[in-house]
Order: sequence, then C-alpha cells, then structure tokens
Amino acid sequence: MLPEIPEGVVWAILLLPIGSLLTIVLWTRPNPRLSGYVTIAAIAGAFLFSLWALDSVIASDGTALAFRSHEWLTVGDLTVNVGLRVDGLTVIMLLVVTTVSLLVQIYSQGYMAGDGGYSRYFAYMSLFTASMLGLILVDSILVLFVFWELVGLCSYLLIGFWFHKPAAVRAAMKAFLVTRLGDVGLLLAIILIWTKTGTFDIAEIQELAVVGAISVNVLTVFALGIFAGAVGKSAQFPLHVWLPDAMEGPTPVSALIHAATMVVAGVYLVARFFPVFEVAEDAQLTVAVVGGTTALLAALLAVVATDIKRVLAYSTISQLGYMMLALGLGGYVAAIFHLLTHAFFKALLFLGAGSVNHATNTFDMRRMGGLRKMMPLTHATFFVASLSLAGVFPLAGFWSKDEILSQAWTEQPLLFVVAMAVVFLTAFYMFRAIFLTFEGEYQGGEAPEEDSHGADQSRPHESPRVMVVPLLVLAVPALLIGFANVSGGVEHLLAGALPLEMRHALPEFHFNWGIALGSLALALAGIGSAWLFYGARVLSAERVRLTLRPLHTLLERKYFLDDLFEGVLVRGLLYRVGAGALSLFDSLVVDRVPNEIARGLRLSSVGLRMLQTGQVQVYGAMAFAGLLLAGGLAFLLNPL
Amino acid sequence: MSNELNLDYSLLTPEFCLGGLAALILALDLFAPRFRKEWLPYLTAAGLVAILVLSLGWVNKESDFAGLIFIDNYTTFFRVFFIASTAVVALASAHYVQARLSNPGEYYALLVLSTIGAIYMAASRELLTAYISLELLSFCLYVLVSFSTSDRRSHEGGLKYMLLGAFASALLLYGISFIYGSSGSTFYDEIAAAYAGGTDGFELGLLMGLVLVLAGLGFKVAAVPFHMWTPDAYEGAPLPITAYLSATSKAAGFALLLRLFSGAFMPVRDDWQWMIAALAAITMVVGNLVALQQSNIKRLLAYSSIGQVGYMLMALAALSSASASALLLHLSGYVITNLAAFICIIAWYNLTDKEEIRGFRGMAERAPLLAAVLAAALFSLSGMPLFAGFFTKFILFQAVASEGFLWLAVIAVTMSFVSIYYYLMVIKEMYISEPEEPGRLQVPVLLSGLAVALVAGVFYVGIYPRHLLEVAEEATKLLFA
Repeated sequence: MLPEIPEGVVWAILLLPIGSLLTIVLWTRPNPRLSGYVTIAAIAGAFLFSLWALDSVIASDGTALAFRSHEWLTVGDLTVNVGLRVDGLTVIMLLVVTTVSLLVQIYSQGYMAGDGGYSRYFAYMSLFTASMLGLILVDSILVLFVFWELVGLCSYLLIGFWFHKPAAVRAAMKAFLVTRLGDVGLLLAIILIWTKTGTFDIAEIQELAVVGAISVNVLTVFALGIFAGAVGKSAQFPLHVWLPDAMEGPTPVSALIHAATMVVAGVYLVARFFPVFEVAEDAQLTVAVVGGTTALLAALLAVVATDIKRVLAYSTISQLGYMMLALGLGGYVAAIFHLLTHAFFKALLFLGAGSVNHATNTFDMRRMGGLRKMMPLTHATFFVASLSLAGVFPLAGFWSKDEILSQAWTEQPLLFVVAMAVVFLTAFYMFRAIFLTFEGEYQGGEAPEEDSHGADQSRPHESPRVMVVPLLVLAVPALLIGFANVSGGVEHLLAGALPLEMRHALPEFHFNWGIALGSLALALAGIGSAWLFYGARVLSAERVRLTLRPLHTLLERKYFLDDLFEGVLVRGLLYRVGAGALSLFDSLVVDRVPNEIARGLRLSSVGLRMLQTGQVQVYGAMAFAGLLLAGGLAFLLNPL
Repeated sequence: MSNELNLDYSLLTPEFCLGGLAALILALDLFAPRFRKEWLPYLTAAGLVAILVLSLGWVNKESDFAGLIFIDNYTTFFRVFFIASTAVVALASAHYVQARLSNPGEYYALLVLSTIGAIYMAASRELLTAYISLELLSFCLYVLVSFSTSDRRSHEGGLKYMLLGAFASALLLYGISFIYGSSGSTFYDEIAAAYAGGTDGFELGLLMGLVLVLAGLGFKVAAVPFHMWTPDAYEGAPLPITAYLSATSKAAGFALLLRLFSGAFMPVRDDWQWMIAALAAITMVVGNLVALQQSNIKRLLAYSSIGQVGYMLMALAALSSASASALLLHLSGYVITNLAAFICIIAWYNLTDKEEIRGFRGMAERAPLLAAVLAAALFSLSGMPLFAGFFTKFILFQAVASEGFLWLAVIAVTMSFVSIYYYLMVIKEMYISEPEEPGRLQVPVLLSGLAVALVAGVFYVGIYPRHLLEVAEEATKLLFA
C-alpha cells in the first residue's frame, strides 16, 4: 500500500498539463514531435498520480481526503476559496480522463502526423486536459464554473481546429453558443445559491440541502439551473444540436472531448449535486424525462445517419441521455458506472472511426465496405466496442446498462420501456455501421486531399502502430471493466462521496435475471435485424425508407430542430425580431425619418444643412419623451 | 458649512500640476515648433506618470477643501485611475494624431484638462462643484470629438454630442434646483441630513429633482433612453478619443453618480432605486441587442459599452458597500479591457485604414499579436473566465443579487450570453477569414508594448484581483461611513 497522497501531488495532476501547455507555447512550438512527447509525458505523469489518488481513496472508503481550502480572495462577505476535493467520484473521473487522454494523445501522433498545426493541436489538448482535470478536482462550484467555461473554450478551439474549413468554423461557433446557453442557467444557479447560503463549497451545499436548511423551492430552481448547464454541455435534448456538428474537429478530439470526457461533465455535475436532486424531486424527475427523451430521439437519429462519426455522435448523445435517465431515477451509481464503461468503449469506437478514415479518407459509410480484411485489428477492436455498447454479455456495457435498466424497472415503468427500446436501437445502428463499413465490397473511399494528413495510399490498409496500439489497449477495459462493480467496488467508492446521511439510503442493486436476459435478447435482436438489412441484405432498407417516408424525412432533418434553432430562434426571433426591432427603432425612427424630412427640407432650401440639426432635435424629443415617461411613472408609482 | 472653511490649496496640488502640464504642452506647441508633434505624446504621458506618482502621496489621507472637494481614498483611487487611463490614451494617440490630425498641442492639452474635470467629478461633495467639473470634462470632449477637420462624421458627431450634452446639462441643473429647493442645500451631507428627517411635504420636488438629475447624468453615461448620441459620437470621433470616451468619460460619470447617491440620496433610497433598476434593465437589453446588428467596430463597441453601462447601473440600483467596491472593480477591469481592445483597433486602423468589422479579416495572419490581444479583450468583455470580464461581472452580479435584485442579475447574465455572439463575429473575421491583402504588418513597438501590458492587466484582474479588490474596498469604505 502506498501512503496517502499528499495535497501537493494532487495539485501536480492539474499542473502537469498546464506545464506542458506552457512548455509548448514558450519553447517547443517549432519542434512538433517534441511538443507531442511533452504532452504525453505530462499526461502520463497525471495518470500515475491519479492511480495513487485512487489507492488513497480506496483506503478511505471513498470519502473525501482531508484537504484544506485555500482562500483566494474576499470581497465583503463573499469569499472565494480554491481547494481540492478528492473522493470516490473524483478518482473515477480522474481515471477516465487521464487514461483516455493518454491513449488519445499517443494515437494523435499518428493521426495528426504532418498536420501544419501539430504543436498547436497538442497545446490545445494540454489546455483541455488541464481544464477537465480542474473541473473534476475543485471543491467550489464557482471555480468549477471557471474550468467548465475553459473546457468549453477548448472545445471551441478544437472543433474549429481546421479553421480553413467553413463547416468547422460554423460548428465551433454553434457548439460554443449552444453550450453557453445552458451555462446561463448554471451561472444563475451559482448566484442564487450563494445569495441563499453564502457559500460556494460543494460539500457544504450538499450538506445544507440534505439537512433541509434550504427551502425545496430554492433547491429546485438551483437544481434546474445546474441541469440547464448539464443539458448544454452533455448535449441533451433540445440542446444536443451542437454535438453532431462538432464532429468537424479532428477525430481524436471527438474521441476525447466529444465522447469520453467533456460531454460527460454534465453528467458529472448532476452526479456531484446528486444529494440536491434527491431533495428537489421535481428537478430530478425533469432530469429523468429529459434523459429518457434524449436517449430515444438520438438513437433514432443514429439509425439514419450515413456518416460514421455522426452515428457515433448520436450514439453518444443517446448514451448520455441514458446516464441522465439513471440519475433522474436515483441511480447515481448506475449512471457513473455507465459513464466509466462508456468512456472506454466510445473512445475506442471513435478512434476506430478515425483509423478507418485514415485509410479511406472519408467518413461516409456508403463509400466504405469490406474493410474487415484490410484492417483486421481496427475491425476487431471496433467490433468488441460495438458489442460492449450494444450491451452483450459479458462485455463492459452489459453490466452498466443492466444497472440502469434495473433502476428504471423499479422506479418508472414507462421510462423502462423507453430504455429497453433504446437497447434494441443501439444494437441495430451499431451493427448497421459495422456491416456497412467492414463487410461487403470496398466502395472506393475518397481521393486524398492535398493537405490531408497521412492517407497517401490508394488501397486502404491497417493504420500505423502508434494508432493501433491505443486501440488494443482501450479494448481491454471495453471488455473487462464491467466486472469492476460485480462485487460492488465502484458502488462502494461512489457511496463514500455522498454526505453521510445519504450514503445508506442508496438503493441496493439486485441483479435481475429477467431484465438481464430480456435486454440481452433485445440487443441480439437488434444485431440480427441489422444483419438482415445490411449484412445478408435479405430485407431492403430502401423499401422500409419508402414506406416510412415521413418518419425518415423527420429523422433526416433531425426533427427540424436545427431549422428551428437557427432559422426561427436565432435568425428570426433574436436577430431579426428582437435586435431588428430595436435597431429599426434606432435607425428608422431616429435616423431615417429625420433623414427623410431633412432631405425634403434640404431640397427646398439648398445650402441649409438640416441633416444634423434635424436629427438632434429628434434625439432631444426622444429623450424628453423618455423623461416624461420616467417622470410619469415616478408619480404613478409613488402616490403622493 | 458651519465650521471655518478649510482652504488648504496644497490638497489640490495634482490638479494644479495637471493644469501646468496642459499649459506647458500648449506653450511648447506654440513657441517651439521644432518640438511639435513627435514628442508631445511622450511628454504628456511622462508628465502624467509623474503626477500619478505625486498623487499617491494622498493615500489614506482624509481632508476636504472648503467642504466642496473631498480628498480621500475614493478621490485618490480615481485620480490614479483617470491619470493612468489618460496617459495610455495619450500614448495610443501618438501615431494617429501625427498622421491624421493637426494642432496636436491643443489635442494633448485638452486631454489633460479633461482629466481634471473627471477627477473633480469623483471628488466633489457639492452639487454645483460636481456640475462644473462635469462641464469641464464635457467641453473638452466636445472639442476632441470634432477634432478631425477632414472628417465630416467627426463634425456631425461632435455637434450632436454637444447639443445633446447641453440639453442634458439643462436637465441636470433643473434637477439640482429641485434638490436644493427640497433639501435647502447643495452639499451632499446636508442633503442627506435634510432627507433623513423625513420628506413629507416636499416629496414632489424631491421626485422631480431625482428624475431630472438621473436623466441628465443618464445622458453623460449613455444610459438608454438617453444614449442616442453615443454611436454617432463614437463613430465620428478620432479613434483614440473614442477609446477615451468609452473609458474615462464613462468612469467619471459613475464616479460622480456613486458619490452622489451614496452621499446625498441614501435616506430616500426607495424613491430612486426602482428608477435606476429600470434604467439598468432597459440599457442592458437595448445595448446588447442592437450591438448584434452593427457592422462598424466603433459602433459595435459603442453599443457594447451601452450594455456595460447597464451592468454598472445595476450596482447603483443595488447600492451597498459591496456593490460599490464591485462597481469600482468592474470599472477598472472594463477600462483596462476596453483600452486594450482600442489599442489594437487603433494600430490596425493606422496600418490599414479599416474600421468596418469586415475589414478585420485575416488580422491573425497579418498582425498576430494584435489579433491575439483583441481576441483576449473581446473574450473578457463577453465575460469568459480567466479574463477580467468574468470575475468583475460575477462579483458585480453577485452583489446585485444579494441586495434582492435577482431579476436584474438574471437579465444581466442572459444579456452577457447574447453579447458573446457579436464579439465572436469579430473574432471569427480576425481568425478565420482570409486576409484581403497578404503580408505581415509591422506594428510599432509602442502600440504592441501597450497592448501586451494592458492584456497582462486583463489577466491580472481576471485571475488574482485580490489587491485591486482591497484597494476598491478601501476606496469605497468612507462612502458609507
């Protein structure tokens, strides 16, 4: 056994990637390879220290290690502290982030080889890793928000990494704006909770909520604010629209940020405030309903997507919905356990998609096919990860999904049905992807672009070792990590992170044979249907599409949500109606009307420059009207 | 004042020095032609820095001049604040003025003189003194805004600014007379004492006075619906003066408002709190929404500054010692950020003659340092963490919310979200669009140095503003004594 981890070492977990960022910016930028090595070394260090933290937290039964909060500054009665909170939940997140990050960085060396922005890429990745680690390590919700925003900023920078692609730029803007929309709620929740309790300390807020020191109404609003932030970041319905577009970024970024780590930050946040949600039952039910809706709607979208990364993106949204569903039904352990397993198999799937793209230069599955023989290792790992995601026994996904289903079974029959439907859909769309990509005849891929990275061969073949090894390593947890909770190990760790009063109130998990076999059967049915349509081609997907034309259009247009958001809400309502009306008021009433009058006057008396004076009089009149209004209101509201 | 008047002129030394500096600049411009142009901005800045150091001698001292002008930490804070920002503007003007304006001597002298007005706006504790200080600042600005003889927009903007300014002054004076009529004094402390004894019988006069004073000062700080001069004046003014308008003149208005409302009107808080709250709400919404549609960077920043005024007015509505120090912190962060942004815009304009947002295309390729600083400044204005804007806004919103104005904080947070959109549009042009012409631009060391120094300030305020906060608390402590 190692001694308990000292606070300085935990800080080092956070500071190592910051160090690599600074090293790249100040020193190794001209030398791309070195920049890559620096980043990998820093994250490897963070990974090792995270293992040490895990060891210490296991020794403390998952309860928070005793670190003191440091005062950052005080303004009047507002004190901002910066401190670390390392408990069962933290170490699981640490492990997910550092492991996936490490493997993705190693893989990136191959995927990004020869890219002009290689050093910049690793600088951003370092910044991202640091921000993400900060987000999960801090003990104050205000500091958490700072890292939360930084993570969003990194996501913006990395989606728009290839900024000569207009689609990438649009996607980056969209992601930034949509997630920030949720953050409005989060920031307001923070302001509200401080106004009511005078603290930013997460543990203290939890404690106050559990003992009933804060009214349920306040807690409900607070919880909904938190959840609004989580909906944005974790791409829940209806703010999920940014995530599929975010696939314009480099694929390793999709694997790390938009599958395994950043998008689960929302789930982490809701889990962190799980005690609050337990008290605020209305908010908790909202979480469940939104999660269930998201899981189903996104899974349906994945069925029609033709871009392999978009299939995976919708799958991610759907699985995040699953985690939210679990949290909303009180399945705190189930949600985080699923987060853990999902991170590994989804990162593996994305990296596999990247490997396929490296060989074929396209993400369009209709241009692939027959890759199984050409890329045996990529295929094998992708296959394993898909089985795991589909929830086939005894792979990781089976165990975590099973816990969520059992939770739904005991809590909410309707949502249980939704969850079961998603099991079928998940298996179906994943194996649709596998059959389209790896089976059948090779459809030719796409000719390499001039400045594309790597793919220089006419015939696809297996990716370089630096990319395949991370795939193989990730396949291990995708296979096995499900056993981590068979004896309740994860549950024990996670329970320790809750306030004492709540620790024993956690629902007992009982393995339910009926549900396990039922979901397994559904998963196999999904795989079988995919085989009938896309493997054996006994059934025609084309015919189904024609019969279900309206449904298909609805799905293809993504429920028209993009049109709604961009066309109606942003362009129409906010931009045109809101800003337009005000600006019209400014330019038409204030500028144009007098301009027109002035023009008429000027025509009649050439030489008189009435333009300016005309306007100023109107300005003056407007102000006077405002004054009269203010004065009038003053007397109305203050009866003398 | 009942006691004997304190006529210790040494209290006013920094302002005498400022007056002397202005005279020296004019004289040099007049009598030493060979000295012209090149050295004036540096001389101005050097003189200002010397006076800044001198005015530090009044830290933690407390005295008054004839009951009219108070020299306390609040005044010292704003002395340093205004002198420093004027020095930055003077340096930022160097290339611009040399290339585009005539009569540089008057330009720099007026800048220095206007600083005196700004300082006394913060220092006055008597209505007429405050009014005269305000006019001193305003008159200098009217001239400065219309300083560009070759640009029609400059005349137009200047004229509008002056006419509406005169209108505002009339309102303010009328309001002052109502306040005097209802309280029997123009001294802040005596007004407060009079109102504390009850306002029965002169409620009407008091209300009239408050409305008119607010409207008059609302003009000066550009609160909606008294903001109409702002976009035209910002667009027409020479660029460094636009920066000056958005920094010093705005801060001076708030310095006056804060001292006035905390010193004179606290006892009748219920009468004006809702007025300012309403003003703040409209100002935030209109400023930020109209900014969405601007295509000229000066007009964009004009509307964004109107939005910022809305945030600052919130602090006034929720007046407390916490919100006062939050306001000072926010003002500092805002001015540093805005000056950083303007320095990049000035440098870019000097080199390319472009001030449309479209004209910023490819800035990242042609002038990467400027683009990075401008991006940082815009991120800060939009309230991203680590930059000044997040922290100062957060403290401000927090202070406002805890005074019971949660609804204002909700509007403010929502509007900050809207503001990200238009700032991002500028960043997008700089970083993503192809430059219209190729080639690296050679940015003068002076401007890049200033830009880097200011952006360091942006990060300082955003990450570890502890000391600045302590200073702001120290400065506002006596307001609520």
